[in-house]
Amino acid sequence: MDTPKQNVCEEQVYNELFKTNSKTVFNYLYYKYGNEEKAYDVVQEAFIKLWENCKKVAPEKAKSFVYTVANNLYLNVLKAEKVRFKHAKETLEVTHESPEFLLEEKQFKLKLEQALSDLPENQRSTFLLNRIDGKKYKEIAELEGVSVKAIEKRMHLALKSLREKIDGI
Amino acid sequence: MQENYLAKWLNNELTDAELEAFKKSDEYASYKKIATVSSSLETPEFDIEKAFAENKLARKTTKGKVVKLNPSKIFTRIAAAIVLFIAGAYFFMNTNEHVETALAQTELITLPDASEVVLNADSQMDYSIKNWDQKRHLTLNGEAYFKVAKGKKFTVETSSGTIQVLGTQFNVTNRPNYFKVTCFEGLVSVTYKNKTLKLPAGTSFLVLNDKIIPTEAPKTDKPSWITNESTFTSIPLNFVLAELERQYNVTISSSSINTNTLFTGTFTNKNIDSALKSICVPNNITYTLEGNKVILHAKNAE
Repeated sequence: MDTPKQNVCEEQVYNELFKTNSKTVFNYLYYKYGNEEKAYDVVQEAFIKLWENCKKVAPEKAKSFVYTVANNLYLNVLKAEKVRFKHAKETLEVTHESPEFLLEEKQFKLKLEQALSDLPENQRSTFLLNRIDGKKYKEIAELEGVSVKAIEKRMHLALKSLREKIDGI
Repeated sequence: MQENYLAKWLNNELTDAELEAFKKSDEYASYKKIATVSSSLETPEFDIEKAFAENKLARKTTKGKVVKLNPSKIFTRIAAAIVLFIAGAYFFMNTNEHVETALAQTELITLPDASEVVLNADSQMDYSIKNWDQKRHLTLNGEAYFKVAKGKKFTVETSSGTIQVLGTQFNVTNRPNYFKVTCFEGLVSVTYKNKTLKLPAGTSFLVLNDKIIPTEAPKTDKPSWITNESTFTSIPLNFVLAELERQYNVTISSSSINTNTLFTGTFTNKNIDSALKSICVPNNITYTLEGNKVILHAKNAE
């Protein structure tokens, strides 16, 4: 709200925020709660909330505002419901790998998915935001509202328990 | 190995030595595979453009909500509520009555105790019907004839003086520079400039231009205007003409005549022509009547 150009109420500023962040917010919710439709609705709702409160939210705070609102909205929807993490179907890429290798790959993926769904929400969302969306620890720390060190801890623990699950320890 | 070394490894933050050591560990292969495979995982489809279009639509429909938060609307609502409350309170609690007559109009008002008031033309009267039996009090501006029912003290307040009675018939005239009280029955107490005097039946009290003028007793048992006549006894012509204006809703131009001439006589409140004749003929005045304008001229002594 310092200058008119930086106001979230400005169409341009808002549109930019939506286009750069909506997919990541969606993924974030999906990693956490594993429901595609709900994640989509919550993303929409969270951005509408941003629009309604555009006068009160500074542009630099808009991103974490959306994440916080989205998370809260989702928790409201969720409450007692237990959602299992299920991953999208793997793409059937044409490869020249041997069938044995492909089978092994497929099994590994299944194991990984299973292990991912057993992770705590926080570790899972942090891990996947980094691995899939390529988000830096610092960025994840900002939108989750925790320190970088806490994110590192989550990454470390996530990786550790994934390996233990997959290797059957 | 440093704290959270797995996270550091993914972020390429391990020292060369650490990395060497890590690569030699048994778990390295598994970690490497997890890291690679996990980043190749697919997320459900999210069409940013489609989502944006929906968002735009939703924002338009929620615009009303934004307007609702407008503080001036809230203020308007509060104001409306207050106005409603005051209006309601006013209607519930206000028991004040206001009666007003226009020019050329009289009105009969019956008060809560069956006292009667006849209001002459161009007069206003205010009173409160609340506790009327305990406090019979009204304010008058103009002229009125009262028939007061017996009871507690009955007070008529005017800008010139106050009249108090217990139960009589009397007439009060309170016009600019003209204050007259006539008692027709019983006893009337008039307070004028902090002096109170008793007015027995059949007497009048007259103040003209702040001077008390001795006046004749009325010959009738009620004021003449009740029977649509205006009667004057030695009253300067300007007051007579003012009354004529009130009774017929006309404007009189009298600049060319001497309005201080005293007039004794009666004019009817029914017919302006004969009323004008009643005033003009004895005073040697000619008049012209055009619409609601009357022009008076002194008759030349030729």
